[in-house]
Amino acid sequence: MLRYVLGRLLAAIPIICLVAVFIFSLVHLTPGDPAVLLAGDNANPEQVNKIRERLHLDKPLVVQFGIWAGNALTLDLGDSIYSNQPVTRLIAQRIEPTLVLAAVTLLLTVAIAVPLGVIAAWRANGWLDRGIMAFAVLGFSVPVFVIGYLLVYIFAVKLRWFPVQGYKPLEDGVLATLHSVTLPSVALAMIFAALIARVTRASMLEALSENFTRTARAKGLGTLRILVVHALKHSGVPVVTVIGIGFATLVGGVVVTESVFNIPGIGRLTVDAITRRDYPLVQGSILFFSALLILINLIVDLSYALFDPRVRG
Amino acid sequence: MGLTGFLKAAGLAVVLATSVAAPVVAQEVLRLRLNGDINTMDPISTTNFTIRNAAYLMYDTLFALDSNYEPQPQMAEGYELSEDGLTYTITLRDGLMFHNGDPVTASDVVASLERWGKVDGLGKTLFSKMESMSAADEKTITIRMSEAWGQVIPALGKISSNVPVIMTAEQAANDPSEPVAAPIGSGPYKLVPEEWVPGSVAVFEKFEDYAPRSEPADMAAGGKVAHFDRVELVYIPDTATAIDALIGGEIDWIEEVPADMLPFFEGVDTAKPIAARQSGNSMQLVVNHLNPPFDNEKVRHALQWALEQEPFLLAAYGDATDRYLECAAVFFCDTPYASDANTERVLTRDVEKAKALLDEAGYDGTPVVLMHVTDIPAHDAYYSVLKPMLEEAGFVVEEQISDWATVATRRASKEPVSEGGWNLFFTGWGFVDQSNPMTNVYVSGDGENAWFGWAHSEELQDLRKQFADEADPEVRKQLAERMQVLTHDLVSYVPMGQAFPSQGIATNLEGFIESPVPFFWEVRRAD
Repeated sequence: MLRYVLGRLLAAIPIICLVAVFIFSLVHLTPGDPAVLLAGDNANPEQVNKIRERLHLDKPLVVQFGIWAGNALTLDLGDSIYSNQPVTRLIAQRIEPTLVLAAVTLLLTVAIAVPLGVIAAWRANGWLDRGIMAFAVLGFSVPVFVIGYLLVYIFAVKLRWFPVQGYKPLEDGVLATLHSVTLPSVALAMIFAALIARVTRASMLEALSENFTRTARAKGLGTLRILVVHALKHSGVPVVTVIGIGFATLVGGVVVTESVFNIPGIGRLTVDAITRRDYPLVQGSILFFSALLILINLIVDLSYALFDPRVRG
Repeated sequence: MGLTGFLKAAGLAVVLATSVAAPVVAQEVLRLRLNGDINTMDPISTTNFTIRNAAYLMYDTLFALDSNYEPQPQMAEGYELSEDGLTYTITLRDGLMFHNGDPVTASDVVASLERWGKVDGLGKTLFSKMESMSAADEKTITIRMSEAWGQVIPALGKISSNVPVIMTAEQAANDPSEPVAAPIGSGPYKLVPEEWVPGSVAVFEKFEDYAPRSEPADMAAGGKVAHFDRVELVYIPDTATAIDALIGGEIDWIEEVPADMLPFFEGVDTAKPIAARQSGNSMQLVVNHLNPPFDNEKVRHALQWALEQEPFLLAAYGDATDRYLECAAVFFCDTPYASDANTERVLTRDVEKAKALLDEAGYDGTPVVLMHVTDIPAHDAYYSVLKPMLEEAGFVVEEQISDWATVATRRASKEPVSEGGWNLFFTGWGFVDQSNPMTNVYVSGDGENAWFGWAHSEELQDLRKQFADEADPEVRKQLAERMQVLTHDLVSYVPMGQAFPSQGIATNLEGFIESPVPFFWEVRRAD
């Protein structure tokens, strides 16, 4: 198993290198000069040129890539053009909100979607099933920012149960943190839950028609035990796969959600960096996302072993 | 427990978990949402207005404008001018101290002004007319001019970018293009660097050792009394979220509320929009004089006849008619140099005249390239109106969808359009910068050394020089009017009307200073 994990990690290195080259080319081919944006509207060309020189933006692209890639090997992702602070520090400052938001969303999603999918399969084609699937289609179709604004309007502006925006770090207390990420997590979970509920229902339907389920029923086992212990466990592999793939959706959703709810996470950091042509920061944060996705895929692959004994062999 | 019981228990848990609520506002903190984010606290290294606004919290200036736009001593106790009008002796007032505990000395002032004078347009003019500037002693600065110039004190009291702020001599030794990393000011609030998260929040604490002037606050002049223990500049990129946060009491002030979001405040008692008449700004269509077809004056005049302001203003501000006015005055309407001279072509649309002028000019159908900016709503609206109006008047238009970052870069190109150059772009300027003939970028006439568009006129250059040297207000007004006539003939830009953006403010704040630059001393929480 350890050899398998190490092999997978080594295989990730060329992928990350490719991503690095691709991202570097893409951001530098995008029109727009960060020096101009930094200098402001009143600045004269001389001021802009000085900033360009300071940031080495006057050097050929190959040289700029060489400097950046060389530093990246030592985990130095350079300094942000915009704020002059080290990219690694900026990412580190933003990891907590994004990971907390993603984790709470994931937990919330699984807590909502898996039971809904199981119930829908259990009552397949009945009104409960149709109701749940209608919710799933709705959740998947409505853009996350619409759900976000609706939640803010009802639960923050009108009822004042939750803050409109902002993030309370864990050092302020877990409850305060959870309170600050409830609305964004619910907004994100709506989309994600819709996807997972549908997949859970489909694979549960398959499991419920299998012989082992019929045997369990014949043995006189209770409905809850049949659904959860027998059928759900059998459906684990596709559900976990979708959770893994869905993480990419979640990361995409985080960008919008972090903007709507003003959460200082990596998603917003990346979007702000793109609009400011903050090359080192765009490169650094996308590399971070790539590494994270590779890691998630690895965890998903490893988790198959939990559900399917054949994988363990 | 059966499945039904399990579902009931789960439902109850969800209800309990989501019904937790907590208060969020602390009384001693002032939370503000400026239009942009704070990436540096060095207002000399950039002309960005957000940085300028934030800088006023932590820096002080030698002189400052009062509500009559007259410079008054701020850090200065006062000044004396020699009889020959060449030597200024400025004395610092007592009790000035930097945030690191060091006293503010004349050497700090000299070093700060020298750094400012290397980048700021007005600063450069001042230094070009200066023989020397030195610290005569700890508290006295001596400026010796090579020629008498009435703009020395107004320049030192300049209210907008670059503001001549005073920093320590050590930090002022930095090249102006290198932002000072951990800046030290001497203003009423001090930066808390360890709590500053770029892209999220910049935190300032009350500077207990700040000694405000004894006079009442009067715009940038007078006593700057800090009434809050802490000021947080919260960066909320989404405007709708920011307004909800203001209404919910999570923040206290928003720099700009778009016209279409004013209804958010209806029936709300925690916050209100205020029409910031002093913070008026205007949109302009900037014209590139180097590229065809606008290298021809007749085509530029055809452009003026092809357009009128109302459709643009309606597109951007809708029915909020009290928030804008049609105005073609180069130095803004309702200002000392406001004038309606030579504005007919700008304010009136006459498609036939435009077509006739295009024929006369031999316009050959060279496409007018529009870099249609979509990431700034007002710009997006303006470009959407511009294209059909130009086409109706006979121009061939090629639209390229773009974002502001791209346009901000491309506008610096003097190349032909096919090689990355441009024809027209929209931009906005504030009242405070453009109402002054010395800082208005469209009246320099400086050709390739001018602001983007590079309109050239020897007469304009000469008029500006005369204006700078003239002391008589009546003559200055005449000179400004002549500048306007020439500018509209030259068409360095087409004015697109004047707007008064609304700010949003918590109703429990009082003492907010009305000014073209937002200041946060004097403002306090009502009991």
